[in-house]
Amino acid sequence: MGLRSYIITRILLTIPTLLLLLTMVFLIMRVLPGDPVYLHFEKKATPEQLEQMRRLLGLDKPLLMQYADYLLGLVDFGYFLQHGYPNLGKSMQNYEPVGRQIFSAFPATLELAIYSMIIASVMGILLGVISSKSYNSVLDHLIRGFGTIAYAIPVFFLGIMFQLIFGVHLHWLPTGLRINPNVQPPAQITGLYTIDSLLEGNLFKFFESLKALLLPSLTLGIILSGMFIRLTRTNMLETLRLDFVTAARARGLKESTVTYGYALRNAFLPILTMMGLQFAMLLGGAILTETTFSWPGLGSYIVTRINYRDYTAIQGAVVMFGLFVTLVSLVVDILYAYFDPRIRL
Amino acid sequence: MEKIELSIVVLVLIGIIVSSGTMYYTTTVMSNLSTLTSDVSTLTENVLNLTSTVRDLATITGTLAEAMGEFTETLTDLEARLAAIEASLAAKAKETLIVGTTDSVEATLDPAQAYDYFGWCILQQIAGTLVSVKPGSITGTDFQPELAVSWNRSTDGKIWDFTLRQGVMFPDGTEFNATHVKYSFDRAINLIPSIPDGAPASLGYDQIINRTEALSRYKVRFVLKDAFGPFLGIMACRSSAIVDPAYAPMAQVNYTSGDPRGSTAAAFVAPYYLSEWDRVGDKDIEIRLDKNPYYWNATSGYPKTKTIIFRFYRDFSTLRLAVEAGDVDMAFRQISAIDALDLEDNPNVKVWWGSPGAPLQMLCFQENHAPFNDSRVRRAIAAALNRTAVCVTLFPGLANPTYSMVPPGMLGHTEAFKKLGDLNYTLTRSLLAELGYDETNKLKFDLWYESSGHYPLSAEQALMLKQQIEASGVIEITLRPADWVSYRANRNAGIMDVYIYGWYPDYFDPDDYVFLYWGPWLNLHYDTWSPAAYAEQLALYNEARYSANTTLRVELYSQIEDISVEQCSIVPLYLMPPWAVTKRNVKGVVLDITQDMRYWLIYIGD
Amino acid sequence: MNEVKIKRSILARLIPRLTSLTRRGPSGWMIIVGIVIVSALVIMTVIGPWVSPHDPSAILVGPIRASPSLQFPMGTNHLGQDMLSRILCGGSIMLQVAAFSVLICFIIGVPIGLFSSYVGGFFDSTCSLVIDALYAFPGLVIAIAIAAMLGPGVINMALSIAVVYIPSYFRIVRSQVLSIKELAYVEAARAAGSKWHTILFRYIFPNVIPSIVVVTTINFADAILTAAGLTFIGLGVAVDIPDWGWDLTKGRELIASGAWWVITFPGIMIILLALGFTFIGEGLSELQNPKLQR
Repeated sequence: MGLRSYIITRILLTIPTLLLLLTMVFLIMRVLPGDPVYLHFEKKATPEQLEQMRRLLGLDKPLLMQYADYLLGLVDFGYFLQHGYPNLGKSMQNYEPVGRQIFSAFPATLELAIYSMIIASVMGILLGVISSKSYNSVLDHLIRGFGTIAYAIPVFFLGIMFQLIFGVHLHWLPTGLRINPNVQPPAQITGLYTIDSLLEGNLFKFFESLKALLLPSLTLGIILSGMFIRLTRTNMLETLRLDFVTAARARGLKESTVTYGYALRNAFLPILTMMGLQFAMLLGGAILTETTFSWPGLGSYIVTRINYRDYTAIQGAVVMFGLFVTLVSLVVDILYAYFDPRIRL
Repeated sequence: MEKIELSIVVLVLIGIIVSSGTMYYTTTVMSNLSTLTSDVSTLTENVLNLTSTVRDLATITGTLAEAMGEFTETLTDLEARLAAIEASLAAKAKETLIVGTTDSVEATLDPAQAYDYFGWCILQQIAGTLVSVKPGSITGTDFQPELAVSWNRSTDGKIWDFTLRQGVMFPDGTEFNATHVKYSFDRAINLIPSIPDGAPASLGYDQIINRTEALSRYKVRFVLKDAFGPFLGIMACRSSAIVDPAYAPMAQVNYTSGDPRGSTAAAFVAPYYLSEWDRVGDKDIEIRLDKNPYYWNATSGYPKTKTIIFRFYRDFSTLRLAVEAGDVDMAFRQISAIDALDLEDNPNVKVWWGSPGAPLQMLCFQENHAPFNDSRVRRAIAAALNRTAVCVTLFPGLANPTYSMVPPGMLGHTEAFKKLGDLNYTLTRSLLAELGYDETNKLKFDLWYESSGHYPLSAEQALMLKQQIEASGVIEITLRPADWVSYRANRNAGIMDVYIYGWYPDYFDPDDYVFLYWGPWLNLHYDTWSPAAYAEQLALYNEARYSANTTLRVELYSQIEDISVEQCSIVPLYLMPPWAVTKRNVKGVVLDITQDMRYWLIYIGD
Repeated sequence: MNEVKIKRSILARLIPRLTSLTRRGPSGWMIIVGIVIVSALVIMTVIGPWVSPHDPSAILVGPIRASPSLQFPMGTNHLGQDMLSRILCGGSIMLQVAAFSVLICFIIGVPIGLFSSYVGGFFDSTCSLVIDALYAFPGLVIAIAIAAMLGPGVINMALSIAVVYIPSYFRIVRSQVLSIKELAYVEAARAAGSKWHTILFRYIFPNVIPSIVVVTTINFADAILTAAGLTFIGLGVAVDIPDWGWDLTKGRELIASGAWWVITFPGIMIILLALGFTFIGEGLSELQNPKLQR
């Protein structure tokens, strides 16, 4: 089928998946053990207080009505345009709009995810290609070893090693937060400190936020690169054995052209899919990294909300995350279909 | 490897070297000025460029004598100006104190609803109360006038009159008077909360205060429902902070992004005002306090530091690393005990210790679960404890074992629980033998502890307690962890056999400690199983509460504690001191029994 | 037809297979190394309680935070517990959690995958849709949420990890079954009148096993790291059970004050365990990948 029809079909398929996702989140939050309202009172709550809280949160309505409210709130574009964030209900702790909380925490996670992905993919793909070119050599084994070990290291272990070495002993980089405590963060336009400081024209702040980004992104990036190294290597090994590569070499093309122009280009698609998925996963908040580096992002937010049993907030965060992943899968699938016509069949 | 890979690797390496070089350059050049706002840093950059350009010009035209003379004159001029700027910048640097903390405002900065330590901490810097506790207080009851200059209590104790300070101005020019006090307390009682826990701020003002009357412009009267003794203590707490009616509707005031004034109901009559409050997600990102130009006590020289900036960290280890790296000037709540002790050896930082005061750890027994309804079992377990070992191992030199529910220094402190002793295994075994427990038939129960860091080192405490109690030979313990929300829910449902609990007082009076023995919200059902003892303690407590006679109160609290030793409904374990870590040049930190950090006393000096 | 069965001990049957692996090149060696590492750690954990010099939970057997010495080769932690004993005994929680989660995933994910892809049609599409939606859930978040709500304990941790992994099993099984289903011999069996369960279990399932094993080993490795992560957040087991994850968490707080040994040794152990399983999985997947054969 043509690309256009594939895209349309794919988008249409997303809708039931999304609906299913939203319904599942809604149900799970309501079937988990424990009365969510009861857990939020400092002292033993009277039935009236419990009922009041239920009413304020809309939990006293029949299940179907709650479901309708939930779905309608999500697609309420008027609310979104007015406030800048979607209607995801109110936090059970202090009735702040969950949407506002999530959207305020999101840029930090986005920034971390972007830089970690850059490091992970550049390192991973490069090393994977080098490793596949020198199959079975010492270099290959070293790189593979590095890749495997990197992925097996617990994030907070690596994190604190970096903090100690680069932060305390060498004193090169800050050990936490998004920017040095002595520096005023740049004016919030996108919420990404590096971009905002450039927009402000302040090079000093740009470097300070970059410095603060370096350790957490390196930690995450190195660990993720392990997976990219292996994936790239496997795909490249498969591709390099194919006939068209031999043919290209036989035609006298330079080795680098063969490797990068032909082989990598063809092997790239599964890597692209993985990159997309990993990026979506990172958007859910690299929880352990954010805790280790005091990074105020979505991951830390979700963890504290879980600790508080703030069901509305957890529900909102999981929904947002599910939406990201679905969206990213959609984009990746379309890109895949664009580059590889065989998929569209 | 091929050329293309090689070139990519080389390019990446060059890129790394160049960017790290630039970063290093910007760090070393800018690091002196990094404590300033960005405007000042760009200004200095321009000045530096100017001086270096001038220097270059001087060398180029060095052959011409007069020209050189002129240029060196300009050069010295500029250098002098630069030195002056640097001096004023350095002085400016001392005007800001950066504080790192792992706390965060929990829900709101509305005095009528805030009930968390950090919320109260910020309110103390920006809001005023009628009276406050003297900094450095040991007893917690030496009150000093703040917004009230004098007060007196009627003979029956039910009426309190306060004479208010005159000339206290709100930032908008309104003068503080009795109507504001009345409004604040009426509001505290009738607040429309947006938080499910309900008004008023868990301090129960509606149970204590009958009504508030503005007798005249500067005189206010509180008519109490009963002769509540520790009324001044309550007047000193943050829930009694005066609100500014212009910003305090009857509905609770919550955080509004970008609007610090609108995010709190408090009247800005204190050394600082809230100039910035940013939250991301559910936690604070930055709080900035600036010197209040309308502060009524500005002549005293307070606040000593013009600006306080709070930066928020997620856990203790990162905060400790930040202090060590010099990223923050001060770290308060929390650096772990081990880190604090370790930092004593660090020449760049100073560790400030307070005396063990308010946070109290205790052991609670659920009397609905047999055999804990029998006081012999409770006494047996209490006797097997070794408080000293826990304090020495986990908090060396810090925590002190306590044998009374009342902290040392406060009136009513006794050594009552020493009667049962520590490591008194003979008593344990004999008491349990009476009930038929011995080596072959051990007493088995669950010891619960909080596992998400709500109390410091609670898991380790539980482990030590388990081993101590089991060493008696006749007890077998299973440890059960639960995170804070579950722990609290379990407490409310009364399902934990024995558990470790902590207490932090609202006001500093034995009245707010001794009632823990039968604390109703602890759901220990002590009143059900020992009704006679409970009734007796309650009678003594009420008598002490409504008495103004200190000697009588001491005697009454001592009697209550004697009964508690017999009953062991709750066993006090140890007290923790507060501590703070600062850079060497930070002075004025006061850690007293109130556990409050009065930031206006702190300054950076040499 | 009489089948002559030659009984040999398990070891006698395993050894030739293992040695044959060495002839399969570096992938084979990876599998062997992985198996060696994992078996060594499992054996160490099993015999740990008998060979450890001190009771791993006993407090103050040595000075507090003592650096490694002859008396305490791995030093002591802030409670004076002997780290060597804790290392020897501490792997059991992780292994239990990983084993249980794999078991649960296997019991639930594999049958659903088999049936769904074999039956095909609407049932299969619905199942796929549901599993895809499940796949979009943030893994660690769900694990934390479930562990937090169920409470501490090995089974609860295993459950929370399993829920996150079932979609992977489903997907792998399904993709394999879909490709095997169309093969000639399966069609022949169907034409010959075999029942569906015979086809599924006799013909299809054995061919699916190799890829399941790969997923299982990756699942194991991930379960170990997730269990460490859950303990880091505070959702681990009670403190009197020696656990590498707990030592890792506490070690992180102690390392800044110079006690590097408390975090390093458990960290190395966890990495080794995860590595062992990863090696096995990697090696197996490489061996099976026909596209890599020269």
